[in-house]
Amino acid sequence: MKHKPALPYLLVLPGIAVLVAILYPFFTGAYWSFTSYRLNRGDPDLNWGRNYWSLFTTGDGLNAISVTLTYVVAVVIIELVLGVGLALLLNSNRYGNYFRLIIVLPLLLPPVIAALMWNVMLTQNGVVNYLLDSAGLPTLLWLNSPQTALMSVILIDVWIFTPFVVLLAQAGLRSVPKELAEASAVDGAGPVKHFFSITLPMMFPILIVIITFRGIDSLKMFDIIYTTTAGGPVGSTTNLHVMAYLEGIRNLNFGMAMTALIVLWALCYASAYVLLRFRRQEAMS
Amino acid sequence: MRAHKRRKPIHAALVTIALVAWSIFALAPLVWIFMMSLKLPRDIISYPPSFIFSPTVDNYITVFSDARFLQPFINSIIVTLGSLVLTLIIGLPTAYALARFRFKGRESIGFGILSLRFAPELLIILPLFLMYQGIGLVDSYVGLVLAYQIVTLPMLVWMLRSFIEDLPQELEEAVAIDGGTRWTAFRHVLFRLMVPGLSASLMLSFVWAWNNYVLPLVLGGRNTSVVTTGIQSYMSHQSIEWGPMAAATMISIIPGVLFAIFALRWIVGGLTAGTVKG
Repeated sequence: MKHKPALPYLLVLPGIAVLVAILYPFFTGAYWSFTSYRLNRGDPDLNWGRNYWSLFTTGDGLNAISVTLTYVVAVVIIELVLGVGLALLLNSNRYGNYFRLIIVLPLLLPPVIAALMWNVMLTQNGVVNYLLDSAGLPTLLWLNSPQTALMSVILIDVWIFTPFVVLLAQAGLRSVPKELAEASAVDGAGPVKHFFSITLPMMFPILIVIITFRGIDSLKMFDIIYTTTAGGPVGSTTNLHVMAYLEGIRNLNFGMAMTALIVLWALCYASAYVLLRFRRQEAMS
Repeated sequence: MRAHKRRKPIHAALVTIALVAWSIFALAPLVWIFMMSLKLPRDIISYPPSFIFSPTVDNYITVFSDARFLQPFINSIIVTLGSLVLTLIIGLPTAYALARFRFKGRESIGFGILSLRFAPELLIILPLFLMYQGIGLVDSYVGLVLAYQIVTLPMLVWMLRSFIEDLPQELEEAVAIDGGTRWTAFRHVLFRLMVPGLSASLMLSFVWAWNNYVLPLVLGGRNTSVVTTGIQSYMSHQSIEWGPMAAATMISIIPGVLFAIFALRWIVGGLTAGTVKG
């Protein structure tokens, strides 16, 4: 269809306006990350890379980076294994569609509310400890001990976001032709061999999507952690995003908060870049 | 399907057992909080926890009659619907242009909008908070609706873009050949075909905006506290009001549950901001 050359630009104008409007706070924040800006102490003054230096050398900064990365690695691996496993089970079960409706529910709740539910259940006299105790197992302090807090928020993340992997893995499994399953069965391949030599390689594109999306979203996880532990006890669950909030809103240290956020942003974008590059390759081939 | 028949019944039973086990894990917290919402205070704090109790709807009555509990719901509805209207006004033309025209800068604009999905929210929200303080937009509906575009716009634009790209262009061209304008083609053909995809995108954007926490936490305040920040605030009172909190929790999950029941098949496109088709 013919159209005036200006028409598409006219249509995307409001979208561009939003992007430009967002660039302003972004660049302001990026500038602050090179200053010792504190809200209650006048204008920002440049200290160049000192915030970045301290983020990568002091205990607090390194702790936040290590918590962030531990969280991402644990969450992505656990959810990938469980999610792909569940997707395979759902596809081979007659009532798969009904189970899927139940399994997907946690994903659609507000993560804050989900975290709050677990918070209620994981208290010292909560129902989880009661069940453990009744089964003769040792009880835990869960979110209230530096040893188990990170594990507990990871558990909550797994509860909420494993369905994300299930749904995408199911979409990926649909792209594996049925004939291949029959062919490999005729060749005498068992289900395990079939999974690793045919299904998994065929699912590779969707696995990349799953890993990058879960990777990015767990890099910037805030809701679950802030609601349950607010980064504690003693910083054991303070990742970069939570650290930025505590530095900015609690300590009014906007320079340091923006530094943590710029580093986090770089990590997220590096992951997103992998995804987009990969998709472009897919589209071309 | 033929593969099923070869499997031993024992195998199928194990699969079902595993799925039942995960379903129990997925539902247990919801069931537990639902039970809590029907309990009297003495049943809530009892140890060992009570599994059998006489249910009451007192907590729901409290939630619906006390402004402290009710206001966040009203605010959530105002902010979420307001954000969706604005997103639709901005996003629908953008999605249409990205899907139907080839023009210079198309992919850059598309990825620019998508990139909002990948940024840590506070990166924009913290500087925005100070800007809002300067112009008096903190703790206002307008300020929240504007900021929520970060969440709803990438979702809607990319979902819609992939829906429109999947619809055949020939029908619109036929209208043009018959002397119609692009606008009539859009109104009479494309828009009607788009309705299912559009409503799914709007529903999922609604759920996502409703579920958001960081934005209202930083930019909201006493007058505009929404469901996610409001429920938090019940806990900071002198004594935690577990019963009403549980009741409010059950009400706050309604949009997500409705989506699961009515529009689940659209979810994959939404979860991946249109980068994967479901």
